[in-house]
Amino acid sequence: MNTVATHRGAADPRRERLAALGRRAAVRLAGGVLVLWAVATLTFFALRLMPGDPVLAILGGASGNPTPETIEATRAEYGLDKPLPVQYVVYLGRLLQGDLGASYSQHMPVTRVLAEQGGATLKLTVAALVLAWLLVLLLTVVTAGRGRLIGGAASLAETLCAALPHFWLGVVLLAVFAFGLRWFPPAGSDGLATLVLPALSLAIPLAGFIAQVTRESLELTLEQPFVLTARTRGLSDFAVRFKHALRHALLPGVSLSGWAIGALISGAVVCEVIFSRKGVGRQLYQAVMTQDLPLVIGISLVVAAGYVLANILVDLLYQWIDPRQQEQNP
Amino acid sequence: MNFDTRALIPLFAVTALALAGCERAPQTQAQSDQPVSGGTLVYATDREPTCLDPHVAGDMPQVFVAQQYLDSLVSMDSNGQIGPWLAKRWEVSDDGLRYTFHLRHDVRFTDGTPFNAAAVKANLDHMANPKTQSSTAGGYIRQYRSTEVLDDYTAVVHLATPYAAFLEVLAQGFLGIQSPTALTRGRDENCESPVGSGPFKVVRWERQNQVVLARNPDYNWAPPTAKHQGPAYLEGIVWKFIQEPSVRFASLQAGEVDVIEALPPESHEAARRNPDLELIIAQRPGNPTNGTFNMRRVPFDDLRVREAFVRSADVEGALKSVYFGEFPRAGGPLSVATPFYSADFEHGQDYDPARAAQLLDQAGWTGRDAEGYRTKDGKRLQATVLIGTRTPPSEQTLWEQVQATTRQVGFDLVMEQMSDVQVTARQAAWDYDIRIGYWNTNTPDVLRIIFSSAFIQPAGVGGYHQNTAGYADAGFDALIESALATQDPEQRRQIYHRAQQQIAAQYLELTTYPQSTRLGIYKTAHGVRLEPSLAVTYLYDAWVTK
Repeated sequence: MNTVATHRGAADPRRERLAALGRRAAVRLAGGVLVLWAVATLTFFALRLMPGDPVLAILGGASGNPTPETIEATRAEYGLDKPLPVQYVVYLGRLLQGDLGASYSQHMPVTRVLAEQGGATLKLTVAALVLAWLLVLLLTVVTAGRGRLIGGAASLAETLCAALPHFWLGVVLLAVFAFGLRWFPPAGSDGLATLVLPALSLAIPLAGFIAQVTRESLELTLEQPFVLTARTRGLSDFAVRFKHALRHALLPGVSLSGWAIGALISGAVVCEVIFSRKGVGRQLYQAVMTQDLPLVIGISLVVAAGYVLANILVDLLYQWIDPRQQEQNP
Repeated sequence: MNFDTRALIPLFAVTALALAGCERAPQTQAQSDQPVSGGTLVYATDREPTCLDPHVAGDMPQVFVAQQYLDSLVSMDSNGQIGPWLAKRWEVSDDGLRYTFHLRHDVRFTDGTPFNAAAVKANLDHMANPKTQSSTAGGYIRQYRSTEVLDDYTAVVHLATPYAAFLEVLAQGFLGIQSPTALTRGRDENCESPVGSGPFKVVRWERQNQVVLARNPDYNWAPPTAKHQGPAYLEGIVWKFIQEPSVRFASLQAGEVDVIEALPPESHEAARRNPDLELIIAQRPGNPTNGTFNMRRVPFDDLRVREAFVRSADVEGALKSVYFGEFPRAGGPLSVATPFYSADFEHGQDYDPARAAQLLDQAGWTGRDAEGYRTKDGKRLQATVLIGTRTPPSEQTLWEQVQATTRQVGFDLVMEQMSDVQVTARQAAWDYDIRIGYWNTNTPDVLRIIFSSAFIQPAGVGGYHQNTAGYADAGFDALIESALATQDPEQRRQIYHRAQQQIAAQYLELTTYPQSTRLGIYKTAHGVRLEPSLAVTYLYDAWVTK
């Protein structure tokens, strides 16, 4: 009865908590917008201050031989004849209206390139993340605290996996499963079958990283008194591991996953090239090569936005897994 | 690997049947000579075009795919002879300024638009229009002034100056003819789905994946170089982009794809030994792969130093170790497949370190510094070659070998690595000693583009001169211009012979190997051949057995 009375006495705590959450969301959102603005600005100047002329890249090709008139017309079409600060202001103004401009090299609006290519990369990174977690759970829950031999072997395997370069792994997977056993197609972007190998080549190194931290915290957790309590209640070993210990041990791995989104996208560039997959990673690589400014900024912005969003999600997930976090900082 | 064989002029330098000389299973006997109609051929190449309309920009990947859906005004055979195609015949005025084309009456584009004189006008105007952003097609017809539509099937093209290479460049797929109705849609839409009158039409382009082509059932105007008439045998083509060379080759070996382009040289041997595979390797016409010397500054302002560098570079040895002897040496300014090529200049660049040392002594580079490099007035004999990021690693290794052999006579060759964009900027500023490059075109007029003084001036603000040697010689300019003023083949041959002679004697570039088209063909594909003007894949006569 006492507690209820105090709750009523204070100003509505639920509203207060919601307001705090709203404030926090607003601050995070503003931070996100600031990050995106910084990304756009940095990319803009980094690319435009690079020596060399984007017009020549547009008209380039080893056998290029444009007339002076063609070069002038192209320069004018993309506004590249204006002073750099003017170009920047014009670009930012369009950006605020949600207009990412037209890609120089793809001959279409940047938003269309993103719409066509974004889905493939999203699928790839999500599949890789899910696969990585499956591997982590399989490896750690089964082998943690099983004695030095098994634990040591699994830990060694994790270190090895974490050290594998995407490029090498991709080529090996191709050689074995696409060309040797012919279980999966070697190239392409259509259907689930084409997703397996690239996702694996991204997931295995990532799983190595996450498993290392998860194993460590799982082993610590398994020594906690509450685990012993659970065992004395007659729970089976697997139930103890999955229902009780795992929840405590996941936190470091989950926060690592937020960081992993960035790593996955940079890994996607390599995987998309090796497996000839569609995607913004491969597109970004080509856009940088051809100094396709609107496309580079467009992709960078979307990737940055995805990264910010993923980290907010991880934050929420963190609180869901460990309610204590909420109480500490409402 | 010498080029004394004139018989190589037909483009198919090597068409190695995998089975030839092999005692193994005669299972490819099943390769019947009887074409089969129907089926889809899967083709895999390395680079994706940025635009399917080859008028825009104009890079090799565009012309390869466009050859399947665009026809040209005239055709070119493997001897460099110009023949009819969409134009039945033509006359050239005596002053070389008027080309009158008499067109076929029965041609329709795949959108239903009839092909006529107005279509010819629309196409040439489109290529010449600066808004098209054409660098290849537009660059080749700088002399173009206008087209006059005399009647529905007679078009008169007016040029500003005589241009005897006009018919040759018209035969290139870069100048393919498109539906004037489709051209009015604007550049970006036309890039996505160009409309031609060719044996296939573009169904859709899935970016970073594939272009899907379907047969044009009404096709009945194949060029005289084709092996049959009427519609193509193939029902469709899937034109895939597989960037990684090893994956592309493995896909071919597994039969996942029927034909691959840009077969990596390290896979040639494996391909020859595989009874399921056939190879087509053809040299491309034009200026071979080379390092061009910047003669506007020390040390290559001196002819003796240029020759000394060329003579001290063991290119043959480097080609053997880097490309496994798969690429022949190119010794002259034109590659073997170019019309009016002469074999007389193949040996002016032969490895001769003794002569190189002698020349350097004569040029006054007699001193030696602590590291063994030659010096003159206290300055080291140094040259810088620019290596861009897109320079293939094998090309880089080739230049490392050049570095090692030229060092023996006292050259300090510095290989500077940088982004391609920086390379372009350094080129515009003339800040290099050697520029690596090549030029694919089916006319010896390429010598005018890369060596005449008109091309020293940068095109527009920001640079980009084509004459990277900086060679300016009034005598050469007059000579190479005079070749454009005559239609007489014998006269042209003589003039181009003198031009090749003059360029070879000036040692303006170290030529290494010719550019080539290298196809790997799986046993399911037949009748694949190359269109001779630029050694471009042509699938009109191809069929599949699956």
